[in-house]
Amino acid sequence: MDFIKSAKKFGVRALLLQGLTFLSVLTSAFMIWKGLSLFTNSESPVVVVLSGSMEPAYYRGDILFLNNGYSPIEIGEVVVFKVKDKPIPIVHRVLKVHTERDTGAQYLLTKGDNNPVDDRGLYNSGQLWIQRDEIIGRVKGFVPYAGMGTIWMNDYPQLKLGLLGTLCVLSLFSND
Amino acid sequence: MYNFLQRLSGVTSFAMSTLMALVVVISLTTPFIPSSPTFDVSLHNVQTTTGRAMDPFDRTSRKAEYARLTFDLDADLSTMFNWNTKLLFAYMTVDYTSVGFDTNRAVIWDRIIRNKRQAKLKLRKHHNKYALRNFGLTFDDVDGANLTLHINPVPYLGVMYDKPLVSIPFTIPRSSKAASSPGQV
Repeated sequence: MDFIKSAKKFGVRALLLQGLTFLSVLTSAFMIWKGLSLFTNSESPVVVVLSGSMEPAYYRGDILFLNNGYSPIEIGEVVVFKVKDKPIPIVHRVLKVHTERDTGAQYLLTKGDNNPVDDRGLYNSGQLWIQRDEIIGRVKGFVPYAGMGTIWMNDYPQLKLGLLGTLCVLSLFSND
Repeated sequence: MYNFLQRLSGVTSFAMSTLMALVVVISLTTPFIPSSPTFDVSLHNVQTTTGRAMDPFDRTSRKAEYARLTFDLDADLSTMFNWNTKLLFAYMTVDYTSVGFDTNRAVIWDRIIRNKRQAKLKLRKHHNKYALRNFGLTFDDVDGANLTLHINPVPYLGVMYDKPLVSIPFTIPRSSKAASSPGQV
């Protein structure tokens, strides 16, 4: 009812303009994300740490900035990788690197700082090494706790709905 | 004129932009804070044995040849702690070239150093923490190797970087029968 009242008050044109502004904000955010993704050669250049396997370096809820680049992986780097056929990306440190001379192919073994053993148990069964193309990005910078909101929304899905609802109600009642 | 929500939004957006600027300044300046770590690595001895380590996920681990290093490490890294250092990740790597492989690098020891008190390292006749083996089964095609101490400072906030401190060359004994051979330090 409120919506129709305001449409009569401001006219259809103003409403359409508001819609257009909203859409342009959405698309520019999407473009920045995709541009960043292209620039860093990484499918998700910003990730939130979801597990405690890199404690005390990274805790749950820390935000990591990734750059994949095209250069070979160095030892001691913290990388985010996603093993083929496993959905969850993992943030761990590179423990071993073997680089083939002819093909430049890299065979990598990773380990979480907080885990007692290396990651072979997390790979597919029989898989001893991960390859360069399974690496999503290398950690270049990080901000602590900034991703806590994502963690809460993951843990309590009703929080997401509540937030969305509040935003909708607020946008209906605001008159600017 | 302005209602409460508008004022609140103005204050928060100003606070956010100041915070962002501060974050950028802190992360850009931290790597340039000077430090003067002291360090000394010496290698006593390198031994190779066949098929001792047992990795449940690696079927070749029974047959492979393993190198066991004995090293001393003296280091005082306490000056590397500054106001934006959460911890130092100290690790030692062995790198070598082999037939068909340009680089082979493996971490053999690491330690998480969380404060200045832990930053004084004194290891005597220490062995590898992680098993060292080649990509193939043996070290037969490996000539020389390097033992390197790296430090990876993890900041409270900001950029990650790696500092190789010292590197010493040595050889891995060819025959697995050889009991010991002093490293060429």
